[in-house]
Parts: sequence; C-alpha cells; structure tokens
Amino acid sequence: MSVPAFTGSNVMDVDAAKIRGAGSNVHFDKVSVAYGAHVVLHPLTLDIAPGEILAMIGPSGSGKTTALRAVAGFVRPASGRIRIGATDVTDLPPYERGLGMVVQNYALFPHMRVEDNVAFGLRAQGADKALIGERVKDSLATVGMSGFAKRYPRELSGGQQQRVAIARALAVRPRVLLLDEPLSALDAQIRRNMVEEIAKLHRDLPGLTILYVTHDQTEALTLADKIAIMRDGRVSSHGPTAELYRRPPNRFTAEFLGRANLLPVTVTEGATGPKGFAKAKLGDALLAGAARGEKPGDKTLLCIRPQHLSLTGDEEHTNRIVGTLKEVHWQGELTHLVLDVDGTPVRVSATRLPVSLPERGSVVPLFFAPGDTSLVPEDARG
Amino acid sequence: MADAAVLPAPIAKKVPGRFWIVPPAALLALLFFYPLVLIVQQAFMDDSGMANVGEFVRVLHARFFLNALINTITISVAATAGCLIVGLVLGLILAFVPFPGSGVIARLIDTFIALPTFLVTLAFTFLYGSAGMLNAGLMEAFSLQAPPVNFLYSTWGVVLAEVTVYSPFVLRPLLAAFSLVDRGQIEAASVLGARPFRIVRQVILPAAVPALIAGGSLCLLLTVNEFGIVLFIGAKGVITLPLLIYSKAIQESAYQVACIIAVINIALSLGLFGLYRFAAGRLGA
Amino acid sequence: MLVWSRPGRIVLWLVFALLFSVLFLAPLAVILLSSLADQWNGVLPSGLTTEHYSDVVQGAAWKAVKASLVTGFLAGAVALVSGTWAALALRIQDATLARVLGVLFFIPSAVPSVSVGLGLLVAFSHPPLLLNGTIAIVMAAHFVLISAFTFGNVSAGLARLSPDFEQVASSLGARPAYRLRHVTLPLLAPYLVAAFGLSFALSMGELGATVMVYPPGWVTLPVSIFSLTDRGDVFAGAALTMVLVAVTLILLLGLERVTGRQARS
Ligand SMILES: Nc1ncnc2c1ncn2[C@@H]1O[C@H](COP(=O)(O)OP(=O)(O)O)[C@@H](O)[C@H]1O
Ligand SMILES: [Mg+2]
Repeated sequence: MSVPAFTGSNVMDVDAAKIRGAGSNVHFDKVSVAYGAHVVLHPLTLDIAPGEILAMIGPSGSGKTTALRAVAGFVRPASGRIRIGATDVTDLPPYERGLGMVVQNYALFPHMRVEDNVAFGLRAQGADKALIGERVKDSLATVGMSGFAKRYPRELSGGQQQRVAIARALAVRPRVLLLDEPLSALDAQIRRNMVEEIAKLHRDLPGLTILYVTHDQTEALTLADKIAIMRDGRVSSHGPTAELYRRPPNRFTAEFLGRANLLPVTVTEGATGPKGFAKAKLGDALLAGAARGEKPGDKTLLCIRPQHLSLTGDEEHTNRIVGTLKEVHWQGELTHLVLDVDGTPVRVSATRLPVSLPERGSVVPLFFAPGDTSLVPEDARG
Repeated sequence: MADAAVLPAPIAKKVPGRFWIVPPAALLALLFFYPLVLIVQQAFMDDSGMANVGEFVRVLHARFFLNALINTITISVAATAGCLIVGLVLGLILAFVPFPGSGVIARLIDTFIALPTFLVTLAFTFLYGSAGMLNAGLMEAFSLQAPPVNFLYSTWGVVLAEVTVYSPFVLRPLLAAFSLVDRGQIEAASVLGARPFRIVRQVILPAAVPALIAGGSLCLLLTVNEFGIVLFIGAKGVITLPLLIYSKAIQESAYQVACIIAVINIALSLGLFGLYRFAAGRLGA
Repeated sequence: MLVWSRPGRIVLWLVFALLFSVLFLAPLAVILLSSLADQWNGVLPSGLTTEHYSDVVQGAAWKAVKASLVTGFLAGAVALVSGTWAALALRIQDATLARVLGVLFFIPSAVPSVSVGLGLLVAFSHPPLLLNGTIAIVMAAHFVLISAFTFGNVSAGLARLSPDFEQVASSLGARPAYRLRHVTLPLLAPYLVAAFGLSFALSMGELGATVMVYPPGWVTLPVSIFSLTDRGDVFAGAALTMVLVAVTLILLLGLERVTGRQARS
C-alpha cells in the first residue's frame, strides 16, 4: 500500500502521523432538531469513535442530513449537546468547529482554480504560504488529482470534482470529515470506483473520523465500520456493519440493509444447543434459527437472505421449506427466483441450479442453514 | 487531544447580524419613507398645522381631478389590454413559430425595457404628428388640406405609445412560461390532428395564464405611474394623475393640492403593486 | 413547431413583422432619421446633416450628457451598495421581518416618480436638511427610484445561490467577512453587474422625479430633451435622444460582455 502524498519527505510523514492521531470522537447527547413544531430529529444519542467510519443510512427525509448539519453547525439543536473530542461545539459557529464537509453536488467554488479551492480553508484560517502550498500538493495527491491543479471546476468530470471536494476538505486537516451523499450525483460505474477510493483513503488516513450519510446500502456496507439506520428522525438500529447485516435487530433494518425474506414463524423452543439456535414453526415446517431471547409461543420473523437459500440441500442445509415457483429471472451469473411460501413471497438468488429447472407452478423445496438465519422481531410501528 | 475532560460549553454568542440591516433601511427611510409621510401630512393639514380634510374633499370633487383620474384609469386599462394582446401575439410567434433570427429579435424587444419611455412619444410625433410622415404622405397622395390622422394628441396616442413601451414587460414572463411548455405535448397534439388554434387554447394558454396575470398587473402599475409619455405628447385634453401632480406643484406651486393628488395616486399604485406581488407570488417569482 | 403549413407560417411571420416594425423598429428608425434631418416637411427629410450632433458635442447639451452620466454612476453605485447590503442583511433576519422589509425595499419602484420628487421637495426644502437646489436632491431622487431594482436583482441572485457554497466555506473555517469577500460576492458578481447596468439605464432615462427637483445647473438628458422639444427644436431633441440611447446601449452591452466573460471563466 503506497500513500503517494506521504512518501519521500520526513515532514510529510510527521503530518501523516498527526492525522492518524488527530481523529476525534463525535458525541450526540440527546440531540433533537425541530423546524417550528415539526420535529425532524428526535433526541438522538450516538457516539462515533475516533477513526471510525459511521454510515448513517435511511430513506429520504429520515433526518440524516439534519443530523450531519447539526454536527457542522448549520442547524441548531432544539435540545441536547454535541461534542467533538473534548469540546462541546453546540454553541460554536461552523467556522470554529475544525471539520471538513463534502456535499452531494460538490459545491466547488466555480470562480477558483482547483488549487485555490483546495487552499481555501487554509487561507481562510490565515495559514502561511509554504504550508498552504505543501498541503494543497499533498491533498491533491491523496485523491489522485495532482495533474489538475490549474483547472477550473467546470473543466472536470463529476467524479473528478468530487475528488477535489474531498481534497479541499482534507487540506484543513479536519478532526472529523462529514460526507453528505457524496456519490449520489455520480453514475453507477464511477460511484463504485469512488467507494473503493474512499475506502483506500481511510486506510491511508486511519485516524480520520468520518460521518458518511447515504441512502445507498452498498456504500454503507462497503465502507462503514458501524452503521446507524435512521427512520422518521430516530435511530432505528446502530451497530457494527457485519453484525447489523447478519443479525438485524428489527424488520426495518433487515429490509433496508440488503434484501431479506422475512417469514412469519411461531417459536416452539427457546435458544438451545451449543450454537444457541431456537426452534420455530412455519406452517408444518420446523425450522432452526439464530435466537435473540425468544420464548416458546412468541410470534416473530425468520430472516433469511436470498443468497442463502438453495434449491439443493446437503447436510449443512438442515432447514427445509416448500414453496410454489412463481417467477424465474435468469441474469447470467445469478438466477432470481420468486416462490410463494404459505402466502409469503420468498426471493432466491441462486448461483447454481439443479440440472433440470423446475416448471413455473411446481412445488419446490428450499434448503438453508440455521447459521444463516436470524429471528427478527416485528417492528413496533408500521 | 485527550477526550477525558469535557470542556464547559462556551457561552452562546449572540449573532450581531440583526443590526446590519439598519444602514440601508435608514437611508431609504430618510430619502423615501420620511418624504412619503410628509406628503400624507401635507395632504391632510392646513397652513396652521391643524388637521383638516376640507381641502382633501374639495380636490376630490374638483372637475380637474376627476378628469385626470378617469383619464389615468382609462389609459391604464386600455394600454394594459393592448400590451397583453401584443405580448401574446409576439410571444406565441417567437416561441412556437420561430424564424431565423427570432432570438435576436426577442432580445432586441427586451432592451426596450431599458430605454426611456418618452423616446417612443418623440418618435410618434415624427410618424403620426400633424406634420409627421403619415400625415404628410396622406396629404400628398390625396391632396388634402388638413392632416387626416389626429389620434396622437388624444388618449389613444398615449395608449399606443404605452403599448409599445410596456408590452416587453408582458413578453418577458410570457417567453419564460412558454419555454417551460412541453414541446412533445404540442407535437403529440398536432400528430393527433389538433388544429393550432385548439392547441393554443388547450395547451399553451393555460400554461401562460400566470405570466399574463403577472405581466398584466405590472403593466397596470407602470401605466398608472407613467409620466414621460403623457408629458411629451403634451395634449391639453390628456391629463393624468402624475402629470397633474407635476403641474400643480411646479407650474402652480400649489403644493397641498399636489400632495393630495399624490396621496391618491400612491394609494392606487400601492393597490396595484399588491395585486402584482400577489400574482407574481402565485407564479412563483 | 406549432404551425406546419408553410403559407400559415408566412402569414404569421408577416403579422409579426408588421407589429414589430410599427411598434419597435419604426420609432427607433425615425428618431435616428430625424436626428440627422436637415429639413423635414414631406414624407422624408429633404436633406441629411450631422449638425445636430455637433451641436450636442459643443453646446449646453454636452453638459446634459455629463450630468446624466455622473448622476447615473453615482446614484447607481450608491444603490448597488445599499441594495446589496440590504439583500445580504435581510438573510440574517428572522423570516417574518425579512418578508416585511423585503416588501418595503420594493415599494419605491411602485410609486409614481413624480411623487418621489414631490416628497423630496416637501421634505428637504428647509434647514437643517436643505437639499433643494443642490445636485444632491437629484441624486437622492434617482437613488430612491432605482434602489428597488438593485435590491431585487441582488436578492434574486442570492436566492439562486446554492447555500452549499457558503456552508462549505464556513465549515472550512472561513469567518463571515472572509466568506463574503471570497465566496458570496464573487458568485454574486454577474447579478451585481446586471443590477448596476439596469439601474444606470433607468437613471439615464428618468424624467418624472428629475423635472420636479433639478436645480438650474444640473439638467439631465431627459429634461433637456424635453425642453428642446417643448421649444419646438425636435431635431436637436432627437439627436440628444439618440445619444441617450447609444450611451445606454453601449453601457448595457459592455456590462453584458463583462458578465458573459465571468460566467464563462
Ligand atoms: N429547512 C427546513 N425547513 C423545514 N423542514 C426541513 C428543512 N430541512 C429539512 N426539513 C425536513 O426535515 C426532515 C429531514 O430532512 P433531512 O434531514 O434532509 O432528511 P434526509 O437527509 O434523511 O433525506 C424532512 O422531513 C424535511 O422535510
Ligand atoms: Mg439528505
């Protein structure tokens, strides 16, 4: 792994080390935001550890941007405090918070060249010329835009503009980097590349705390150490990325993070055995699934991801249900099937299919491993 | 930076920004609103400084005032109607039956907004005046003794001049509205056999109504306030409220009468301004 | 295209040509022609001359050009500063107050210009605020009448400016004054230039308030055109009108080129 900006000079290495140590935690302490009588953020308590990437995801209007702008200082919390590191920033103006911010449409200053855009923050803070020159070079190199310093923003593609916007935010050595849907204005291919670039950026600058707001679950799953899922101005769930994906704590999380089949089941036996699987009934089928403290008689949901369902079973796939085949969509690498299981549509993404594909309308068995499932409570609301 | 000790919250700073509005507001208050108040005060006070509406009532019933009021309203309504028709015809052609160079022409018409209004009146004297091109031509052609065309020194001369000057104010929002009309919709309608007149009525006009209302109410306001055109035509019979204010104040030094007329004229203008703001607000402008 | 048949289109174009010529082209052309006319008793002038223009450059008319230019620049500059200032300051007021003040800043454009002149005469004819008879009262009148347009133009520009620019600038550590100087004003520049151009043009053509308040030594172009034509000297009036039109158009086109270049760069 090479860090173009930080090789070859001791001064720069010191800088790099400083960034590594410079990350601060961000702490929301019962922060609420209201526009008039309309509460858009209900008291929110959340901590982002130093050097962590927290992805805040959720449907449009769920309050993600509001939470980010509260950190940046553009919306005033109606109640609660926000701390960055040891500083309570709730009453600080934005320009005293020491953050970097990147917005969806880049907002590069159109009347400045790329280098002046990147230098903007340092100049505004009155840094000396030599330092500015060095930092501009470093920051542009970090995002791979060294060759474009003299261009104007309109001479760059969307992806290039977004890199410059990131370089501009990095140049001030922010304690926290705030990214609000930074990739949603880009098209799919460039977006995938940029996600990887940001992941690499964070490997290079591991101390940098990042709050990453997005509505795209792929970006969140790829980048984030932790994910907070927002819904109607509240955190619906919050936890380490893999954990949230594998053991979603509620229906909303299961459905929002990846695709999920949620089968209504009745628990017959609480967690038992070395792996802590519970037993639950779906119609006549008795299934085992990863438990979360259910008691016999509880009605709950069994979550199984489409890629974990198989038309062929082996000794690992001890769960078995049957369904009527409704639709088959062959997509080359993957085949998507839709089955009806006791009135619930069940999606299957299969990489391998039996040699002879069953007819539409025929009854087909589906196999899955208890370890791939989890029992998910139905949401309180909705 | 250690995260252990949480610093006490800084005292919330009061934004001093609220007071930045004072200098420009004070300037305008001194040069505009203070004189406005004095006009109103003069209108309702006699020389001894006592409140007195007698003079106000007298002016209100005076022949010269009523004539001017009727003239002002007639001219304003007629000119606005003319502006709407001319603006609509020009706008429809510019937007939907464009010809080479129509963009340049549209911008040329737009620059008329920046030109002084009396220019047109002056030009009209050369064109339609008693010794103007039209009369001279007609007299030569038909060996007439007296100029046959005389409308310039009447209400209609003022109306025509105001139509010229103010139709760009209708055309501008109209072209903006037309540029938002979906061309595909028009093409689909014509493919289905709809006649142009029907398309104009059913597709284009509904989209243009807000712009027509906004442009029309702006025209009403501007024509009520128009001074240069009426002054330059200088016809004895065509006196409007602004001209009356001028002649009472400057030629007769009758300041109180001038203030009374000004109060009424301003009230009328502000009413139309309210109408315009309402219309423009609904347009989303 | 709305009308597909060629004859139909040609008829419409003829209608357009007729309207355009009668309403817009003929007046400009005839002013130009008369400003060059020697004698004009028939359909067309009997001869052409540039005499009226040379009179403009030499005589009292030149003073009028100067008075108008100075008035336009000064009143335009003050209006630009005050309008921009007001538009910027209104953004940090609370919403209701901002709406009310916004309407108040627009009102000068709604009242008849003669009444603005009348008000200034009534207000500033006695000490300690004795402006009557000075150039300042002309400036004041022009400032009042154009202030609404600069305010409106700048407000429209601000409304179109994405808040992201300023917010990103703040988050990068720019204090309000630095942000204003390096981000807001440069991004507003096209609107500022357009606002100045428009207010300058309005000032150049202002008549109603000026005839009410002008002192003897400060006769602006429109006033002097009026007194020329009122005396019957219509050809000189036409020449002066052409000067007025030319100055206005040159300035507007020049400013448009500046903004165009800025928008491109
Ligand atoms: N300036 C504002 N005034 C009033 N309501 C707002 C404003 N900004 C955002 N909202 C409301 O706050 C809610 C959350 O918005 P936002 O935080 O932008 O959502 P997200 O970023 O998750 O899409 C939405 O219902 C939105 O309508
Ligand atoms: Mg958002």
